[in-house]
Amino acid sequence: MKGRLFSTLYMFLLSLVFTSVVSGLNVIHQDRIRLNEERKRQALVLHVLNITLEPHATDQDVSRTFSRRVRAATLGDRPLYVGLDADASTVVGYAFPVSGPGFWGPIEAMVAVDPQGQRILGIAFYRHSETPGLGGRITENWFQRQFQGRPLDMPAAGMRFFYFKPPGTASGPSELDAITGATETTKRLEKFLDEELKKTIPLLLEQKKLQRV
Amino acid sequence: MAKIRTRTFFRKGVWEENPVFRQILGICSALAVTNLMTNTLIMGLGLIFVTAMSSATVSALRKITPERTRMMVQVLIIASYVMMVDIFLKAYLPDISEALGPYVGLIITNCIIMGRCEGFARNNPVWPAFLDGVASGVGYALVLLVIATVRELLGFGTLFGMHVMPSGWVPWTIMIMAPAGFFMLALFIWVAYELEYKKTQPSHGDK
Repeated sequence: MKGRLFSTLYMFLLSLVFTSVVSGLNVIHQDRIRLNEERKRQALVLHVLNITLEPHATDQDVSRTFSRRVRAATLGDRPLYVGLDADASTVVGYAFPVSGPGFWGPIEAMVAVDPQGQRILGIAFYRHSETPGLGGRITENWFQRQFQGRPLDMPAAGMRFFYFKPPGTASGPSELDAITGATETTKRLEKFLDEELKKTIPLLLEQKKLQRV
Repeated sequence: MAKIRTRTFFRKGVWEENPVFRQILGICSALAVTNLMTNTLIMGLGLIFVTAMSSATVSALRKITPERTRMMVQVLIIASYVMMVDIFLKAYLPDISEALGPYVGLIITNCIIMGRCEGFARNNPVWPAFLDGVASGVGYALVLLVIATVRELLGFGTLFGMHVMPSGWVPWTIMIMAPAGFFMLALFIWVAYELEYKKTQPSHGDK
């Protein structure tokens, strides 16, 4: 009985000590971790909005440019980043995050559209767990760049915004080159991008009409 | 005396009782993170830290830890150190932290660490336990680095992210994927055993 009590007490005290140390470390580093995530997001938003930074821009440069040229707003339940020109007077585009299921796990992307909500300015896939070298290639430049300038006219019923075709066979504004060997990733991407855009684009246009953004 | 013992620990941890290719422990991460050398190096350093510190702590508490709770104590200690590594990576090396993804957290379940705690640290003083942990961690890290060298070189044409292959090089995509990890590990074990077999062969002849 005595041994059991000691074991319990011992375990309790030890847990207390170790969790305190870990929590302490976590609290000390929390700001830094949050700042890292924040900076990554800022760089990403600037990137999709085609707001260029000087090469070798430091973290501070990114934050400074972001606070000058991006205004935060909301679009339904998601954040909306309003990109402004150098004088911070005219809107140059809107960026918002989209996400959906990939092959191995969720894929998260940032999409930027032009001020009229009619064309894509840029897209960046920033979090995914797709197969490296296959589905993982959605983060490559050639793949992301082909979205630039694509029209965002609402597709007819039963149609999608974008279709992925075998590389080299894509034609017309709604067809894009798929990644060879990444059939599943491509299929899921096609589906969730379409669903997300069908949700967000009308919302954005409506908010614009009400002059909320 | 102490010097010789240090050498013994390292000979055992790195070669004779190497956790990866002798005991086939910690294979999951060995397959998962070995397609880029930078990630592999950080993972290896993280594991060396966790194994050494866990072994030392388990050893320091060995006289007062009740026998029946020792596994719980070990898991608690290991998990704490792993979380420290995770926090450190997120704060100071965010890019690598992201690339390693869940595998840092999964160090907790790496059998090498608990194996060293159970097999050595709980019956030995702090300093030898610490050295034993470092040696096993180094053994793990070295094997992973060798595998990562081949996989990154053939799969990306780079080493530590720097291009070394000629510009016309066509990357072997298979090398980046999990199956190549299996192939490379198997080849590594084969070569290591072959070397060991050659070394012990003459003594067989003597008998």
